[in-house]
Amino acid sequence: MTRINRDSIAYVVIIIFCIVMLTWAIPTYTPAYPGYGASAALVPNVAIGVMLFMACLSLFFVGMASYLKKPLPVEEREFPEDLNDGSGFTQLGRTDMKHLTAIMLPCVLLVVAIEYIGYALASVAFLMILQYIIGCRKWMQLTVVATVLTAVLYVTMRYGFGVPVPGPQFF
Amino acid sequence: MEMIFAGLMDSISPASLMFVVVGVAIGVLVGAIPGINGPMAIALFIPITYYMTPLTAIGFLVGLNKGAFFGGAVSAVLLRTPGTPEAAATAWDGYPLTQQGKGEKALRMALYSSVAGDFLSTIVLVVIAAPLAAVALFMGPAEIFALISVALTVIAGIGTTSISRGLIAAGLGITVGLIGTEPVTALPRLAFDIYQLEGGLSLIPVAIGLLAFSEIIIQMERFTGKGGGAEHAATVFSSKREDRLLSLKEFFSNARTLLRGTLIGIGVGAMPGLGAPVASFMSYDQAMKRSKQKDQFGKGALEGIGASESANSSVVAASLIPLFVLGIPGNLAAAMLMGAFMIHGMQPGPLLFKENAQLMYGIYGSLLLASGFLLVVGRFGMRWFCKAVNIPSLILYPIVVFTCIMGSYLGRSSMFDVVVMLVFSFVGYFMRKFDYSYVAFLIGFILAPEWERALQQVVIISQHDTYMFFQRPVAVALMVLTFFVVARTFWGSIHAGRKKRAAEAAVAAVGQHKGD
Repeated sequence: MTRINRDSIAYVVIIIFCIVMLTWAIPTYTPAYPGYGASAALVPNVAIGVMLFMACLSLFFVGMASYLKKPLPVEEREFPEDLNDGSGFTQLGRTDMKHLTAIMLPCVLLVVAIEYIGYALASVAFLMILQYIIGCRKWMQLTVVATVLTAVLYVTMRYGFGVPVPGPQFF
Repeated sequence: MEMIFAGLMDSISPASLMFVVVGVAIGVLVGAIPGINGPMAIALFIPITYYMTPLTAIGFLVGLNKGAFFGGAVSAVLLRTPGTPEAAATAWDGYPLTQQGKGEKALRMALYSSVAGDFLSTIVLVVIAAPLAAVALFMGPAEIFALISVALTVIAGIGTTSISRGLIAAGLGITVGLIGTEPVTALPRLAFDIYQLEGGLSLIPVAIGLLAFSEIIIQMERFTGKGGGAEHAATVFSSKREDRLLSLKEFFSNARTLLRGTLIGIGVGAMPGLGAPVASFMSYDQAMKRSKQKDQFGKGALEGIGASESANSSVVAASLIPLFVLGIPGNLAAAMLMGAFMIHGMQPGPLLFKENAQLMYGIYGSLLLASGFLLVVGRFGMRWFCKAVNIPSLILYPIVVFTCIMGSYLGRSSMFDVVVMLVFSFVGYFMRKFDYSYVAFLIGFILAPEWERALQQVVIISQHDTYMFFQRPVAVALMVLTFFVVARTFWGSIHAGRKKRAAEAAVAAVGQHKGD
């Protein structure tokens, strides 16, 4: 993905988000003006308005740069070595999306499962799956890390802070 | 005087002392682990401070932050992988010393420089914050509104690679910060009929998602499906006394560099938007320019380590100056500390000294003690902390991920907060990938309610008279400064682009000329 592609996609998404906020979300989910002070919609409108203006302006610059085949303005970086490929932008491809899904999916499943099968079972399963996803293939390590971490956090929450663990209490 | 004494006595209570020591030790440990930095550690540990008193909570978090700044130097020196961004300059001279078997000496220099910079900076904070806060008390809502506007633009402009993306991030942060009860009507706003949103979003899940979880997802990209482990550090230190120990002569021969680094760190830390990495690089650059042994820099100069560490550590206390005086966080760590203050029912700003004087002097005491504890913990735990850099990532990352999830739950014992954390980790992931400033987002999120409150007060007091704003010269000056910052940053980026293109054209012309 080139920097022009990356920026264009982001600005278009932001512009759509801003339009949805300005035309639907803010008018629908903001209290009516009470007759004194500033309207409850003023600051959200200003914040979203600034976002919309900046996104449109930047999209215009990106479009012009693309049309005139000129490079985009220089972006000074403190740590160029942080970039994945050294080409001036971060990579975001199919592999990254797969990785993101592989990490987020077990997290979402944990949130759902914890309500049904309880903290202990859901957490142990989640930690084992997570370790497997990031490449651990030693079953002993998978089991020990998952069990010990679940137990430590259980004891810390239950007896250290007096907070009930989420989900049904099996022990 | 009574308040000062009572506050200092509070700071030496056993609980307070214990939490400061624990905070420093955990801070050094997490700072030493590459990939975990101070603000991330604060975000992860804020939930447990719910169960502490305000003084122990702030003392613990400040200790954690101070420890993390030195901890970053451990992996920088041993692995050449800075544990925290501000330790990057430390690696340039620290790692060559490790290769020469003088890693322990390099770490000692880093520790003593960190402690010196941090202690002096804390003294400056103690001396100037309260008098400045007394002056800041004369500011009205118009000035506060204008000041927050300046802070947000400066953070969006200076702290990011593009001001437009910085302002977009700040705008999004403000919008998210406005979710919840609207201050004038006391009715829910932007809650989308979700009752958990009616009270607003808690800082803890938002910060954990943006700072910690999204970062860990990106770091785990290296390992997905491939497996992996930590790089192993060269922790075998030389047994020769002169290679291990740092003599007083060696330390004090760099006194001028340390003092300069500390002053740079204080200056940079006190300005919103500029972070510790800026101070560190600036100090290193100045040290190299003024040194008599310029050729030694990059090859293992103790002066280079001292310059970098004294500057980045002095930022910690200095960044609390705008927070304590104006209620504006200068950097991410200060923003997280502001969140911790708010969780404990206090609003950082000039009124803090008036309403919670005893607590403030207690915090001063804890800050000073944390500097001393950093010296003790760092000195005696040095070899132990060196082992932390070798923790395998395959064990570390699941621990951090699970701590993020349970930390989000712990704040309000609510699974909804876990969902919020996951949503913001998703947002944070794309903000990092698309190069949007999560710092600007987070500071916008934290300052949004105060910004709106100030605006509402201006409108109500002035009875919709917009000219009222123009009768406040300080507010007008600050608003002019806001527009100046935006214009200057835009102009700077366009000008830099032109200069680069001109330079490239010149190089191409010279090449063509030579070819002819």
